[in-house]
Parts: sequence; C-alpha cells; structure tokens
Amino acid sequence: MEVQGMKLVLDDVKATLGTWSFSAQGIFDEGLHLVCGDVGSGKSTLALMMAGLLPAASGSVTRDQVSSLMVSFQFPEYHITGTTVHDECKSWGLDPETILSSISLGEKRDRDPLRLSRGELKRLHLACVLANPYDLLILDEPFSSLDVNEKQRICNTLSSRSKGITVLFTHEQAIFPRVAHIWEIREGRLWYCGSPPDGLWNWHHAPPLIRTLIAAGKTPKNISPEDLMEAACMT
Amino acid sequence: MIRIENLSYRSLAIETLSIGTGVTSVIGANGSGKTTLLKLCAGITVPDTGSVLIDNREPRKSDIGWVNEFPDRNFLFDTVSDEIASTLRFQHISPGDICRRTEEIQNRFGLARLSARMVRELSGGEKVLVALAAAMIQDPRALVLDECDSHLDACSIQAIDRIIRQSGIPFVLRSTQDMELASLSDHLVFLEKGRILFSGTPESVFARLADTAFYPLSWKCRA
Repeated sequence: MEVQGMKLVLDDVKATLGTWSFSAQGIFDEGLHLVCGDVGSGKSTLALMMAGLLPAASGSVTRDQVSSLMVSFQFPEYHITGTTVHDECKSWGLDPETILSSISLGEKRDRDPLRLSRGELKRLHLACVLANPYDLLILDEPFSSLDVNEKQRICNTLSSRSKGITVLFTHEQAIFPRVAHIWEIREGRLWYCGSPPDGLWNWHHAPPLIRTLIAAGKTPKNISPEDLMEAACMT
Repeated sequence: MIRIENLSYRSLAIETLSIGTGVTSVIGANGSGKTTLLKLCAGITVPDTGSVLIDNREPRKSDIGWVNEFPDRNFLFDTVSDEIASTLRFQHISPGDICRRTEEIQNRFGLARLSARMVRELSGGEKVLVALAAAMIQDPRALVLDECDSHLDACSIQAIDRIIRQSGIPFVLRSTQDMELASLSDHLVFLEKGRILFSGTPESVFARLADTAFYPLSWKCRA
C-alpha cells in the first residue's frame, strides 16, 4: 500500500527482552489509529519505539514528514517537572489560567501535582498534551484513571483532530473515539484489523458489547458510544 | 460488616454507611473522594472525626490488603518474588511457608515467568498484578483496591475478578471507572463532592444515574 504524505513506517521492527519478543510491521498514515493488546503484550514498548525513545533490536522506524512529535506516557507522574500545578502548565509553555479553567482545577493551582488524585493528574497532563498540535501524537493508555465524563471529553477532542497521525494505545473497553484504523498486538506481533466497520470483524480484542452487536447482525459503523447506541437501536 | 459513622476527613463527610460482605465498588468523578474513602477503610489514614469499623475492629487492627492507584507506589523491593513475599516476611512466617505460598500465588496470577524480573521494568498492568498478589497473599480480612483495573486489559480484569471471588476474602472494596465492572459488584457506592449520593445494589444505584455517563453503556444498549 503506497501512502502519500505524513506517515510512520514500521519496517520489520523487533524488540526482545529475555525470552519475550515482539515484532511489528505497518504504515500509520494521518488519522486516528487504535492499538489494543493484553497486559505485557508490548503496547508501551511499541509506543516508545514509535516515538524514537527506545531503539528496536532490529528493523527500522521511520517518521516521514513528521516535524513535531509528542508521546504521552501511561503514568502521568513520569511527565511532571513543575512543583505546582500552575508551574506544570507553564513548563509546557501554556497559560495556566486557560488550561486549569478548562479542566476545573483552578482551585488547585498551587498544589504539588503529585498530591493530586491520579485522575486529576491525568486530566492535567492530557490538557497540557492536547493544547498543542503535533504531527505525531502517541497516547499510551490516556483513559486510565479518568472518569467517564473526562473519557468522553478526551474522545471528543481526539475525534476533532483533523490533521496529523494519532496513535492511541489502550485497553479501554467502553468509551472510544471514532477511529480510522484498528490494530492489535497478539501472539507476539502487531496485526492490522482494518478500518471500521469491516475491521471490527477481525478485531480479537473487541469489547464484549461490540462482539454482541456484531453477533446480533448489528455491526456498528464505528466504535464511539454514539455508534454503538445507534447500532443497538437497529431493527 | 464495615460500618462508617459520622465520618469526617478533609472534604469527605459520611453520616452513616454499612457495607456487607462481597465486592463493593465505589464510583464517582475524579476528585469526588473515592481514594480518600478507600484509604480510610484501609487504615492508611484515620478520620478527623467519626469511625470506620470492620467487623467492629479499627482498620489498623485488621488484616488489610491494599493496592495504590499509582502502581509504582506499591513497591518496596526490587524483584517480583521479593515484593510478593514481603507481606509474609514482615509477619515472620517460616521461610518454607513463604516460598510455598509465594510460588502458589505467582502461579495463580500468571506471574511465575516474571518471578526474577525487576519490578520497575514491568508493564503497568504487570505491576498491578504484582501489587495485587502481594496484597492477597496473607488472606486479608478486607482487600481495598484503588482503581487497579485502570491498568489492566479485559481478560486480566475477568481473571482477577474470578481469583478475588474464589479467595473467600470477606470484604472487597474497590474504586473503578469501568461501569461495566461496577455493574457486576454486589454493592455500589456513588460519591459526589465528598458525599455519598447513592448506595445499594448496582440496579438501584444505576437507576438513579440513568441520565448520566456513569450508566453502563451495555445497559443503555439493551434498553
């Protein structure tokens, strides 16, 4: 498949750790890519390799026409450099008042970020990450610790990203944005499932609700809550 | 029975709450007080006023298993096996018993292959499994889990749910943002701004949340 424009290319990439190994091949073009996989399957390893933070044991990772890149780690505490919530926003080059009011954390502006609840810390971190446009945005488990309203808000933000490559690594089972492509890691390698709706048939990690809808002949158009509700209401 | 009476701690205030045996899920928005409530039930913090009693004993005088919402904050030791065994070593159990029980629980959690690995090198989900094994190895009276499912895939969550149900631990108290998982609990507590808004069976609590994002998506789709 020849892809024009911005793209991330994984060419026979391999990672090993003791007896564990993982391989990946694929092209990630502009749009929102969902990558699923079990605990310890290599999701975070792949995210780091995509971002150029971890060298592959063999093969190559190429970022074509990508001039800006951001990776959001699974653990938001790893990103913290400011000693207050206010300073953390400033460390990203952002206006603290604007960011904090958008996530209802204005009252905690003087608090040590590591004294926030984990959900609040994740909210702060994602607000800083998503405030700037990036050609390549890699999000490792962005939904972990977020409440359902926040998950939905982040999904809306991701769905509205009209440019760039977004790679979303998650084991979330309920609330997803509309995605362009679905990938999954199983049996030690990365598999391309396809684009919804057809790609849903190949998705081994599909949540039970999606599998139930497909089995009932109600394949959703995509995987957002609205798509699932619409499919469920099909007659 | 876990009984909470006239409790006040920081922004959390609970007049009265009784939690029976089984699995209880605590749900609510970020910052609603879930972690605060769980820490009080685990005896990690003590209330400013009021009381928490687990079968008429203070949490600090009960056997409690605890898993922190920050996976890295659970660990004291370098390797998986040392971390899991540490709970029993602190209780001065005999070395033979510690080896046997550590091996047994590592097998139960599928952690045997990671036994010699450094904890800090594990994935987020694997760290949670190690913390959970360390919390459960002593067969605690109450197991308190702060959003540990947020780092786990669906298969791991199901497997852990099965292990917990089979363990016979009388009280399992967990916070979660997975409403499908919450719907499978025996009891549900919904917190908002440090207050308990609803408490009861999942059916009764979710009935009060029908117009919110907290209502399980699968329930909306079956309606």
